[in-house]
Amino acid sequence: MPSPATIQDTDWALAQAVLARDRKAIAEFVMLCSDPLYRYVRSRLQPRFDFVDDLVQEVFLTAWRSLPQYRGQSPLKSWLLGIARHKVEDHYRDRLRDLALPDDATETIPEPSPGVDSVLDQARSAAITSAILAALPEPYRVVLLWRYWEQRSAEEMAAITGKTPKAIERLLSRARQEFRQQWLTKPEEAAR
Amino acid sequence: MNEELWFAQLAEETPLESAIPAPSCLKSLVYSHLISEAETEGPLLPLPETKAAGRGLCVFEHLIEILPVGAPLQNFQYCKICHARVLGERVEQAPIFWPCCPYSEFQNR
Repeated sequence: MPSPATIQDTDWALAQAVLARDRKAIAEFVMLCSDPLYRYVRSRLQPRFDFVDDLVQEVFLTAWRSLPQYRGQSPLKSWLLGIARHKVEDHYRDRLRDLALPDDATETIPEPSPGVDSVLDQARSAAITSAILAALPEPYRVVLLWRYWEQRSAEEMAAITGKTPKAIERLLSRARQEFRQQWLTKPEEAAR
Repeated sequence: MNEELWFAQLAEETPLESAIPAPSCLKSLVYSHLISEAETEGPLLPLPETKAAGRGLCVFEHLIEILPVGAPLQNFQYCKICHARVLGERVEQAPIFWPCCPYSEFQNR
C-alpha cells in the first residue's frame, strides 16, 4: 500500500504547478497561504493596518519570484511565513531607521517597575497586551514586537537599523517601562 | 520576576494573531497580480492541461476548452475580461457564485 503523501509532497506538487503557470494552481496557492499570512502580518503591524495589504502583496510577489528555490522541505505556508518575517523586519527597520534615538551612555536607564506579576488568564492577558501595544508610540511598539515576538536581540536590531546597540537598549528600556506603566495603571481601559 | 523574562513569557503566551481571514478583495488582487507576473514570463498553461491536472474550469473556460481553437486562445486568461474579477477585486462578499471561479472561491462565506 503506498504511503500517504505528506503535506510537503502536496505542497511541492502545487509549487511545480504554479511554476508551470497553471492559473488554477496559482489560485490554490493564494487560497492556501493568504489567511495565515494575513493574520501574521496584521498581528505584527498592529495597529497600522493601513500597511498590511501592501505588505501581504509584496510577500506574495517575492514568494512568486523565489518559488524555483522552494524544495518542499517545509510546508508552503511556513516557507511563505519565513519570507513574511523578513518583510516585517524590513518594515520595522524602516520605521526605526529615521528615528533619532538617544545615545547618551550617561543617562540613567529606569529600573523595572515592580509588582506586575499579577495572575491573569491567558485570553485576558492577550487582549490587554494587544491593546497596550496598539496604544504605545510607534517606536516603542515596533521595538517590543521585534525584540519579544520576533525574538531578535538588541545587537541584531542595531545591525539591521544601523543604530548602536546602546541606543536600541535605551529605546527598549523606555518601551518596557511605558508598557509596564500602562499594564499597572490601566489594564481595564487598555482591554476595552 | 526578571523584566526580560516577564516580557519573553508575555510574548510566548500572547501570539497576537487574530482569527480574521484575509479580505476577499486582497486575495483577488493578489491573484490578479500573480497572473500578470506569470504572463510576463510566458504563456499560461493551456486550459486542457489545467483540466487534465485535475483542476476545475469555470463555465466560460470550459466553453473555450471544448472549442476547436488554437493555443493563444487556450492560454488566454479569460478572468481579465470577466465581471467576476471586477467584482472580486472591489467588493467584499461579492455576489459571485460560479463554480471553479477563483474570485468566487476567495469570498469568505
